Amino acid sequence: MICDISMMMVNVDRSNIAPDFSCMWRFLLSISFFPLAGFSQTNTDSIFNASLNEVVVTATRTPRIMGNLAIPVSLIVNKTMYQSGSLRLNDILAEQTGLVITDNFGRGIQMQGLSSEYTLVLLDGEPLIGRTGGVLDLSRITIRNIRKIEIIKGPSSSLYGSEAMGGVINIVTDRAGQHKTDASIRYGRFGSIDGAINVSRRFKNTDIQIASNYNRSEGYSLKPFAIQKTVEPFWKSAHQLNLHNRISDRWKAGTGMRFNTSHIDNSIAVHNLGNTIVSKGFEKNQEYNFTPYLQYQVDKKIKSVLRGYITGFDAMQQLDVKDAYGSYNDKFNQLFARLEQQTDFHPTQHSTLTLGAGIIKEQVSSNRYDSLSTTRQNQIIYSFVQHEHAISERFTIIGGARFDANKAYASVLSPKLSFQFKLNQRLNFNASYGRGFKAPDFRQLYLNFTNLAAGAYAVFGTEVAATEIKRMSDAQLLEQTTDMFSNLSILKPETSGGLNFGIKYVHPNNLHVNLNIFRNDLSNMIVTDVIAFKKNRGQIYSYFNLKRALTQGAEINVSQQISNTLNIQAGYQYLFTADKDVTVAIKRGQVFQRSASNNLVSRMGLNDYGGLPFRSKHSGNLKLFYENPKGFFATSRIIYRGRWGTMDMDGNGLINRNDEFARGYVKLNVSAGIQIRQRIKLMAGVDNVFNYKDIIHLPGNPGRVGYLDLQFNF
Amino acid sequence: MKKSIFFAFVLMSSLLFVACEKEDNPTANNSTLTSNVVKDLVADTIVGLSNGQPVGVGKYTFYSLENNTVVPSTDSNSNKWDIAFRGTSILTNAGTSGPGAGGAFVYTGTYDELKTVSPDSVFKKDSAPSSYAIPSGSNRGWYVYDPVNNLITPIPGRVLVIKTAKGNYAKVEIINYYKGGTTPAPSASDEIKLKTQRFYTFRFAHQANGTASFQ
Repeated sequence: MICDISMMMVNVDRSNIAPDFSCMWRFLLSISFFPLAGFSQTNTDSIFNASLNEVVVTATRTPRIMGNLAIPVSLIVNKTMYQSGSLRLNDILAEQTGLVITDNFGRGIQMQGLSSEYTLVLLDGEPLIGRTGGVLDLSRITIRNIRKIEIIKGPSSSLYGSEAMGGVINIVTDRAGQHKTDASIRYGRFGSIDGAINVSRRFKNTDIQIASNYNRSEGYSLKPFAIQKTVEPFWKSAHQLNLHNRISDRWKAGTGMRFNTSHIDNSIAVHNLGNTIVSKGFEKNQEYNFTPYLQYQVDKKIKSVLRGYITGFDAMQQLDVKDAYGSYNDKFNQLFARLEQQTDFHPTQHSTLTLGAGIIKEQVSSNRYDSLSTTRQNQIIYSFVQHEHAISERFTIIGGARFDANKAYASVLSPKLSFQFKLNQRLNFNASYGRGFKAPDFRQLYLNFTNLAAGAYAVFGTEVAATEIKRMSDAQLLEQTTDMFSNLSILKPETSGGLNFGIKYVHPNNLHVNLNIFRNDLSNMIVTDVIAFKKNRGQIYSYFNLKRALTQGAEINVSQQISNTLNIQAGYQYLFTADKDVTVAIKRGQVFQRSASNNLVSRMGLNDYGGLPFRSKHSGNLKLFYENPKGFFATSRIIYRGRWGTMDMDGNGLINRNDEFARGYVKLNVSAGIQIRQRIKLMAGVDNVFNYKDIIHLPGNPGRVGYLDLQFNF
Repeated sequence: MKKSIFFAFVLMSSLLFVACEKEDNPTANNSTLTSNVVKDLVADTIVGLSNGQPVGVGKYTFYSLENNTVVPSTDSNSNKWDIAFRGTSILTNAGTSGPGAGGAFVYTGTYDELKTVSPDSVFKKDSAPSSYAIPSGSNRGWYVYDPVNNLITPIPGRVLVIKTAKGNYAKVEIINYYKGGTTPAPSASDEIKLKTQRFYTFRFAHQANGTASFQ
């Protein structure tokens, strides 16, 4: 009964049984087609290697052993997050090879050179919403109650739908039903306090997990004597409840609930010709998630899950301007609801068929678009299919596709295909191709924004642009419309085709080498262009499917268990990015640059082109983890990010000159901790030991930060 | 619109005529080409704010490429000036801007490459307020405006091909828009950015013999 396969077949995210290793082991064998002996030398509990025996769910939407996946996937386990002293999601992701945390509209993620808007972030398999400028702020998410993070790179996980282009990050919360309670408190520089309580319990057939987190900081100023702090004082809170009930051997139901709040003080100083206008106020974001599900295990071969998901994101900003300008109010309310059915079939032990379909309703109301009373809606219907088949003991193939249809923009088909070939127990090759998409967002469809301060420009979404232009034209406010105005049309989703080729090598001597070569071709990328000029010469922008871009590179990760206590890891990513139309124009000799030293203009060559902004050609890390059996640990993590293009200085709109790059940096983070009598964990750490700062390009980096962390297990 | 195309045609044919006529006398070229750099030409510098927008006194600075000198604004209704600057707006002496036989277009390429004005070039005339020979606005003519950092930068590879009031040819490359020929750092205060802007640094070559050659 305990080892009934039905119990293990559940989505592992929400597995309501306590981890029983022997049971897990048999389960793993039952769905794996290859002898695991070659991997069994890896300690499953090791924090060091996200071990190949770990079960991951994100890659194929079904529980899979990492070592057997034909898709590049990496895993960060709770112990790594704890020992690295990470509190928020961005903290731990910043230390992973090939992931770069960006610093615009909060902390965004860049993956395989694709920016935050092309990366899907899932919490227990459900997408998080509430993006600003396309960026999902990762610092919203506490990782105090996170069991593991699964990362899939490239669009091979296109079964997740919109935004799964650069990749998918799935945050898996703590297991329910574990009979444990822990509380932790942290104090760090800048009056930073973080407190968390996690409770996990089992009552007969019901498992429960409760987590609460509170995080605050007094903020900091990188520029001395500035009225406006670089990071304003803030507090954040998160509360989560997970419930699972085994109704019978075959039926299981449960729900997750989460409520997140963040509050940021605002004190904004605008300087205008020597006059300083100070505005005071606050920003408040509230987010809630509700995730009920019902699961039915038909027999050993068929499992079906019905999942509901409702999430909302409400943002507001209120500023009282100390001048004649009055007060400023910004409100943005987003609602996302989804109902999805997924069925997994195991017709033979060598194949898995996954079928699913769902419906999404999304709505947004904001005074950025219209008035708050006008609600913009979209409805998406989708279905997906995936078949995984082990052709031989060495060769596995996964094929799948997803189709999304909706009202507001063009429909899209996202296919994918992956292969894995195991040469022997040490060497393993995989290749995958997938197409992903990103739907035009509400901003691109409905934005109605006029900035009176900076050049009096305006931006209109494609669905409202024509009406607004007509209104302005009738009111004699326009100088003229441009050629682009006549090109305004219904936006298409942005799409990308991604190719990944990977080699995994495992030496019995606990050496792991992972190489992944990738290429992403993005098309129909949405950019703004000028559709009209106002009489005061202010420009009016709208959105177009114009840009084509390319990101390609290679990522290598090496880890070696040097002794029972010491593990060393190194990672490096080489990245090449380009706007394809710029490349064409450069080849045609139509692009120019101005020398910073003598102001002379010359034709740009391909070698002069620095690629897409905010992308570092080189990045990497070197990490040491030490842990002895007495419960003492110490870590040292060096994170390197090479220079990256930031802004155009010579008027050609491109990154080409040396002064258009931000300097690369090296950050050293260290931590050490000890466990006292099984109950108390004490940790101290210093992030950014070298105190590296870059006021202009890294406002989110306060310099050296020390902290003390105490955890108590009841 | 049709009118301006018509004008352009008339203009072009007359240019061709002039060009052909002068080419009969090619020896004069070397001595009649002058090259100059003009620094910190004031173009209606900002004096204050109006409705939140920075404003100057609203006057153009008139310049003679023929004589390489500033022309008093009292002579604005004459053939003494060839090009005029006010903020990012540039006028040429023709159409609605003046009585001259001027005109201009924006050439894409480097200043040095532009050795001769192609005979099929179309010189536009100013037609206020809707259209100017050198279009105003970011990324339309000679500059881009960065709304994030509040900076104006000349687009590299843009050369203003000017017909002077007298009908001679000149080429102008705008090098910088800020005092001392140095654009403030993006992180500089708005005050510095506003106080140092509207100072043109440009170089030009002027062909006095009426031919289309800059060699």
